[in-house]
Amino acid sequence: MSWLIPTALAVAGVGALATIALHFIARSRPVAEPLPTARFIPDRAIHARTRSVALTDILLMLLRLAAVVLLGLAVAGPLFASGGKISRIVLADRSRAVANVVAVRDSARAYLRQGDQLIAFDSIASLARTTTIDSIVATRARGSLSAAISSATRGGVRGAPTADSIELVLISPLAEEEADAATVKLRAAWPGRIHLVHVAASETIAHPARVELRAGQNDAVAAGLSLLPSLSASVRVVRGKTTPDDSLWARNGNVLVHWPATDVDADWAHRASIDAIGGVTTARATLVGRFPRPWALTGRVVARWADGEPAAVESVVGAGCIRDVGILVDESSDLTLRESFRSMAYELLAPCEGRRAITPLDAASVASLAGTGPLASSTSLRDRGTETSRWSPWLLVAAALALIAELSVRRASSRFA
Amino acid sequence: MSTDASYGALLDAVRGVHWPARRAVVSAVAGTHHSKQRGTSAEFTEYRLYRQGDDPRRIDWRLLARSDRAYIRLATDRATLPTTIVVDSSPSMAFPMVTREKWRRAQEIAVGLAAVAHADGDPVGVALASDDGGIRIVPPRTRRGVVGEIARVIDATDPDSAGELGALVRATRTKRIVVITDMLGDDDLLIAAKVHIAGGGEVHLVHVVAKEEIDPPRRTLLAADPERPALQRLLIDSTRREYDEAFARWRADLARDWRSAGASYTEVVTDEPTAHAVRRIAEPPAYGAPRP
Repeated sequence: MSWLIPTALAVAGVGALATIALHFIARSRPVAEPLPTARFIPDRAIHARTRSVALTDILLMLLRLAAVVLLGLAVAGPLFASGGKISRIVLADRSRAVANVVAVRDSARAYLRQGDQLIAFDSIASLARTTTIDSIVATRARGSLSAAISSATRGGVRGAPTADSIELVLISPLAEEEADAATVKLRAAWPGRIHLVHVAASETIAHPARVELRAGQNDAVAAGLSLLPSLSASVRVVRGKTTPDDSLWARNGNVLVHWPATDVDADWAHRASIDAIGGVTTARATLVGRFPRPWALTGRVVARWADGEPAAVESVVGAGCIRDVGILVDESSDLTLRESFRSMAYELLAPCEGRRAITPLDAASVASLAGTGPLASSTSLRDRGTETSRWSPWLLVAAALALIAELSVRRASSRFA
Repeated sequence: MSTDASYGALLDAVRGVHWPARRAVVSAVAGTHHSKQRGTSAEFTEYRLYRQGDDPRRIDWRLLARSDRAYIRLATDRATLPTTIVVDSSPSMAFPMVTREKWRRAQEIAVGLAAVAHADGDPVGVALASDDGGIRIVPPRTRRGVVGEIARVIDATDPDSAGELGALVRATRTKRIVVITDMLGDDDLLIAAKVHIAGGGEVHLVHVVAKEEIDPPRRTLLAADPERPALQRLLIDSTRREYDEAFARWRADLARDWRSAGASYTEVVTDEPTAHAVRRIAEPPAYGAPRP
């Protein structure tokens, strides 16, 4: 048995002791009762102690003690154990990192029991019905372990009142892209070990990325791109005009990024009126600066200007793609040396159709994610702010009855004869 | 509640009780009490020599024929005795707090005595201090519903007034006054009674005592005077005996003082049946019998 507010028990104990103390202290000065002939009683000190204890006094004290203790118990909120029950939360990965979602379903089916919770996740996590495991389908969204663990924590809070321990089962390929800065902190917030079930990842690049850059000397963009970390695809960046060889290279399953250095390096359709805008953004990065907009681009949008117009588009060519980037960068600025530029360039040089190579989490991260020690205890997951004890109302009723009985006894004892 | 419903049993119990005057009364209205006047009623008393100015029609002609002396025939007159019942409605009468037994007993005694006086043909009324500090008086009357009227006035009064009984007695003009009180807080009542008695009136004091006052609960009790809340005394084993003695002594002194003043004093404890108490008050004890 545990308590929602254990300190209430201590308060009730102090209250009970105070009740006893006050009871005896108060008895040294009885409650005044009307007696018209009081004038015939000799005038003595009123603080005399009684030598006998009336039965009604003891009954009153017991009733008051009962009321205080019952009130304390009601506020403390007793929670009774569920007989060692272990509840299970299964996190099923349905993100693009999963090679075969059927394997995920089978694993989930193997672990789920009656009363367990199933949470399917990609970039978001949602509670799914355990009877509809087959409704879990693969998505093209990036997986997020942070979202999954966060949702599991909420599920643990929900399931804590009916279980003693919570076992968390994570069915995922555990790709690197699924972890972020919050994952470690959210994992630390889960008060127990996590049972990891590996499934195959959709794609794994064993070879390092390769970037070809064709630009002039002192090209600002080339300088910025040289600071990029390893890329996940074979990419060719052309800062001048493209050639048929470039198109052929793209058809072979590579990424051709046509990023003209000047407005004459591309034959794209011009806008009706050339203007400038203050920012450009991709899915994960935003670049602030003054950018001229000479072209009107069409295709699958990769980046947009601040007003929503396409700033970079992608078109499929054979097995690869050509990405047209209409972002003209001032050669004299240090824009390309900034972190925000590198983040955006990383997006612009990504694999075709946003696909990313799935890199598995390193062993240390996986070990940290799994953790050690016992399963998560339900007491550490209980939400004391919202959880209620079903015994509290009955205890309150009992306390009220004790107070009513105390009132009746007090009135009866104050009545003469 | 009607008078018959609330006092019916009491009125039945006191039916047939008479309440004679303690001395001959002076009244022009024919009644049941001995009058100081000698008249021509059928009840013969004595002969007296005819004096100039007497009505010749009162001469006993047969005696004149036998003795050749003119006597007139005298007979005792009967007169009524107007009665006012003064009821103490001070807070000390509302005791015990729950049952208000003292006040209830005072109400019953007042109605019972009113019924007895009314049955004797005497005008009867009631006077008591009202809740707002004034005086409520039902003037003495002999009409049929006066007892019910008295009962209604008494029932409508709460024992929480601060009126002085002495003032009530002084304001009363009837020859017979009955004061029903617990005698707690009425210091000048005896003086007012003495004045009334000196004027030829008759005063009956009915001292109502609660049995809880004679025998308070046998536990520690911080007693507070309801009329003087600041007065609080502790009643414990060591003070109980002194309380009993002081209370008994006070009651004995009261009885002596009132009887010495020429008044009738009757102590009524709340556990005594009201009809019995009314009978004790109305019917004087036989000569030599112990005083109630």
